[in-house]
Amino acid sequence: MLARSSLRSMRILNGARNGTTAVAKRSISSSGPSIESPMKLNMAAAASTALAIGSVAWYYHLYGPTAHAGSPAEEGLHATKYPWVHEQWFKTFDHQALRRGFQVYREVCMACHSLTRIPYRSLVGTVLTVDEAKAMAEENEYDSEPNDEGEIEKRPGKLSDYIPAPYKNDEAARAANNGALPPDLSLIIKGRHGGCDYVFSLLTGYPDEPPAGAQVGAGLNFNPYFPGTGIAMARVLYDGLVEYEDETPATTSQMAKDVVEFLNWAAEPEMDDRKRMGMKVLAVTSVLFALSVWVKRYKWASLKSRKIVYDPPKVSNKTRN
Amino acid sequence: MGVWDVINDLVEAATPWGIAEAEAPPAEEKAEAKDEGSKSDDAEEEEAEEAEEEEEEEELEDPKEKFEEECRNSKQCAPAKHHFDECVERVTNASDDDEGEKEDCVEEFFHLAHCATQCAAPKLWAVLK
Ligand code: HEC
Repeated sequence: MLARSSLRSMRILNGARNGTTAVAKRSISSSGPSIESPMKLNMAAAASTALAIGSVAWYYHLYGPTAHAGSPAEEGLHATKYPWVHEQWFKTFDHQALRRGFQVYREVCMACHSLTRIPYRSLVGTVLTVDEAKAMAEENEYDSEPNDEGEIEKRPGKLSDYIPAPYKNDEAARAANNGALPPDLSLIIKGRHGGCDYVFSLLTGYPDEPPAGAQVGAGLNFNPYFPGTGIAMARVLYDGLVEYEDETPATTSQMAKDVVEFLNWAAEPEMDDRKRMGMKVLAVTSVLFALSVWVKRYKWASLKSRKIVYDPPKVSNKTRN
Repeated sequence: MGVWDVINDLVEAATPWGIAEAEAPPAEEKAEAKDEGSKSDDAEEEEAEEAEEEEEEEELEDPKEKFEEECRNSKQCAPAKHHFDECVERVTNASDDDEGEKEDCVEEFFHLAHCATQCAAPKLWAVLK
């Protein structure tokens, strides 16, 4: 036993000695006459570093700073971020707010702005009840199918009809608004930089009077958030303009908040479902993940609980020496 | 939603071939119940209406205006307000003389408005519904 262990340590020592000799040899070969002077090496490193820094600096000089061709007034004031609840990941639209917002749209904005992508049926269950939506649709007349003589008669609206536009066409809309076209509001939240914040700021941001020296064009109104600051839409929301059925105080900012949330719904009616689907995906994948961890444990059990023992062969002095 | 509904829901999400949904029937019973309720609550409603009228008499004050005014005069926005006020004074005085290029205070107004809205935003959302 003692002999064997001493033998083994001998071998280790031998190996170590071999290693050290190899290292020694290598160091000898690299310290030959072909070695470069440390001065040269340092210069190469310094030059390449200078080149790297220089090229990055030049790139930044060329492309780094963004050029602003317009003045801040032409750009418009960037809307402040408001803490919208419905924009949070795990929150839905407040449907009471949607109801109020639709009321504001109907009583105020609808006089000028269309909402052509929203049919009455999509309001059912989110903003209105079936009966309310039906009654509202029936207030309008729509073209029906041609009758036997080929005449197109009018019929009362149905749930499948779309919310009617205030003007026959864009030209009529311009003519009625001093040449400015009130845009369709169906997708306005998605269609404007800043989304909800922008439209909310726009509606509530009309100052009592434009700042000193500001030029406001004829027929335009000063609004800092509108690019160019001169907007053809005058301030439309004033405290107490509508009367909410749930008795929420109808301040300017409350109405603006509600109508913006409603317009966000109009642009993104799938949002609630989308977030719900996201939660479903998270829940189902977490279950699958847990399952896979258990399955892995099960499959590996036989491997993990295995013990590998090395049983060295008996040494016989005859064969070894 | 009960626990079983949640599980059902998740199973349905994982098995898209499961179901086709139709519009739920309108809640007729509820409407009837409401009608009955409103008949008996006539007296209360009248009271409510009176209360409403009283409320209307009170002037509505927009919380946005109030908070932003407070913010404009706060220490936080003091530099922006100082620049804006100075600019207004300069421009109004200059327009009397009517000479040279005209200056405007739009930029100063932007800085002040930006500061005031930023400061008022969380306060406003705390009071709005
Ligand atoms: C008296 C008619 C009128 C009413 C009422 C009205 N608007 Fe407008 N609106 C306009 C006009 C005109 C424009 C186009 C302004 C322009 O291009 O200068 C406009 C533009 C807009 C824009 C687009 C601004 C942009 O960035 O291009 C939004 C958003 C908007 N209105 C929202 C509303 C909302 C919300 C309401 C209801 C609370 C409303 N408007 C009520 C006439 C109106």
